[in-house]
Amino acid sequence: MATVLAVDDDQALLRVLRIGLTSFGHNVIVASTGEQGISRAAVGAPDIVVLDLGLPDLDGMEVCRRIRQWSDVPIIVLSADGTEDRKIASLDGGADDYMTKPFGMGELEARLRVALRHRMSERGDEETKEIVVGALELDLVHHEARMGGRSVELTTREFALLVFLARHAGKICTHRMILEQVWGPQYGTETQYLRVYVYRLRRKLGDDKGELLRTNPGVGYQLVDEEAL
Amino acid sequence: MGTWRRSVVGSVAAVVVMAPLVAVMVPLRSHLSIATSGLVLVVPVVTGVVVGGFAAGVFGVAAGFLVYDLVFIPPYFTLSVGVTENWVALVVYVAVMLLVASVVARLETARAEAHHREEAVRRLFELTDLLIEDRPLSEILELVVSTVHSAFALRSVALVLPVGSRLDVVASAGEPLSESELLRVAPEPGVPASLGGSTATRRAQDQTVALIATGRPIGLLHIWGGDLSRHDQDLMHTFANHMALALERAQLREQALRTELLEEVDRLQRALVGAVSHDLRTPLATIKASASTLRSADADVATADREELLELIDNQTDRLDRLVTNLLDLSRVQAGALELRNQPIALGDLVADAVRGLGYRADATEITVTMEDDLPLVDVDHLLISQVLANLLDNAIRYAPPHTAITVSACLGDDGLVQLAVEDRGPGVPRTERTNVFRMFNRSGTSGGTGVGLSIAKAFVEAHGQEIWVEDGPDGGARFCFTMPAARVTVVVP
Repeated sequence: MATVLAVDDDQALLRVLRIGLTSFGHNVIVASTGEQGISRAAVGAPDIVVLDLGLPDLDGMEVCRRIRQWSDVPIIVLSADGTEDRKIASLDGGADDYMTKPFGMGELEARLRVALRHRMSERGDEETKEIVVGALELDLVHHEARMGGRSVELTTREFALLVFLARHAGKICTHRMILEQVWGPQYGTETQYLRVYVYRLRRKLGDDKGELLRTNPGVGYQLVDEEAL
Repeated sequence: MGTWRRSVVGSVAAVVVMAPLVAVMVPLRSHLSIATSGLVLVVPVVTGVVVGGFAAGVFGVAAGFLVYDLVFIPPYFTLSVGVTENWVALVVYVAVMLLVASVVARLETARAEAHHREEAVRRLFELTDLLIEDRPLSEILELVVSTVHSAFALRSVALVLPVGSRLDVVASAGEPLSESELLRVAPEPGVPASLGGSTATRRAQDQTVALIATGRPIGLLHIWGGDLSRHDQDLMHTFANHMALALERAQLREQALRTELLEEVDRLQRALVGAVSHDLRTPLATIKASASTLRSADADVATADREELLELIDNQTDRLDRLVTNLLDLSRVQAGALELRNQPIALGDLVADAVRGLGYRADATEITVTMEDDLPLVDVDHLLISQVLANLLDNAIRYAPPHTAITVSACLGDDGLVQLAVEDRGPGVPRTERTNVFRMFNRSGTSGGTGVGLSIAKAFVEAHGQEIWVEDGPDGGARFCFTMPAARVTVVVP
């Protein structure tokens, strides 16, 4: 199905990743150091990278940044210390998603699929006239939003925010990412704007519990792509 | 009293000097003029004044007058003077001598006072020197009271500072304080304490000096039985100021140290949580991922892979178990509950045990064991030392490149200790890091070792009273060594 590069210094986990992802039909290549990971990402042309943050030679975030310099291959970060700072830094540094150890193989595989599908759809972004995420339809030409066929009135900024999240459906977008892209570079730390807008969007979309527009406490927001999961 | 004793000593000195002079002059008195003998009698008077002060001088003058009149002015041995001009000599002698005595005495007093003042200034310098030295607060307190006690020749000194929610005597010197004195200077909360008690016991020499630094009250210095001159009072005032500043500084320093300590503890705890969560999660991740793959309906796992996953689960569970054992041992060491159960054991058995205990990790690595022949048995706690060895091997496997050899060697040193070394072909440990690697939660780089393994090894080896260290191996890797005592085995022939 897809070629997956797994980078982790723990040999045991690498063996499981190889067996597990192979049995889900993927082609798996492995690397046990950061340098090896970077070179295999270049040579092996993987469709997606699963990257552990704690590597012996390079910091995982550094590996992420270096790969990002020449490739937009989706990167899913694995982290043993689930601290928020590390998660945010890796997402800001270009990772598409993160998982905290320990994780179930089924969930990892599902996230791989979301990231892959999302990257496919992103490729055709420029020509996209409509984005559909589950029951949510966004008409980019007429700036119209429909939720389960029902039209939803949105302000320009609300619509822009929703489009940004929908373009990255399934992916966790950090506060900084959203603010810089939707409001502008100088708004990177104004998280209170975001809270207000997300609150309003949820009201209008009938998503009071935040099941569609999910909060990742301290990290950011994510538009849940139900089909993929 | 000091001055009274001094007067007596001076008077005696005057007499002692006078006696031989008189003895020498008596045979010659018919040849000497009356004025000459009067002039010689000046000497004992001046001696008396210098030694004993003005009072001794007056005594000297009186004695001189009597001797002059009785011995040197005819008719001898009567108080009558005879010729009138002899009266003049006597009166002039007495008048001049009294003047001399008073002038010399005043000079003496001034000299003594200057000396005293110099002494006081020296003491003040000494105290200041003491205060600026970097010492713990408790030591400064003791020094302050003992210096004040000796410098001012006091009966007792007590320093009262706020301790917690009440005032307390934190240091004292001199005679121990009575119960009532203690109560007076540091009253129990809510218990009225008498200011002077029976006024008879409270004298002017019992005083309280307030210690104030930069406008902040620091404490009180109580002194008993001090006969302080005005000059001493001034000195005490300066003393008090210096003391207050020094105490405040010491208190602030103590506070800063406490804060630093708390920060360090906090840092260690965070490191512990980080290290433990990393080390617990890594094997857990493999176990969970393996188990979830095996369970997943969508996954199509080959039979050989199924076996491998099961084996991984097994191995990683052992790894987790080792980590938990390490953590429990660590808490035993920290709680001081480590009890050695020494018994003689062959090194070969120890090493085999440790290698077997490694299980999962040893698979990918070649461990070579080289041992001298005829090594004596070692007298150690079997479990602890095989854990030390296992931790050292674990560490070697972790940091050495995959598929390089790890060597375990043992030899008998000249000191009668058996030395065991674990050597890898890894990057080695830089000289500057050699003590740090044994510190708790030290992790080289980001690779996430246990961070506790080496510190546990050190704790266990040191519990045996032995040493552990790291050096360069002959092939460039790290070489961890530790010593063990040889067992004194008495061979029992049946």
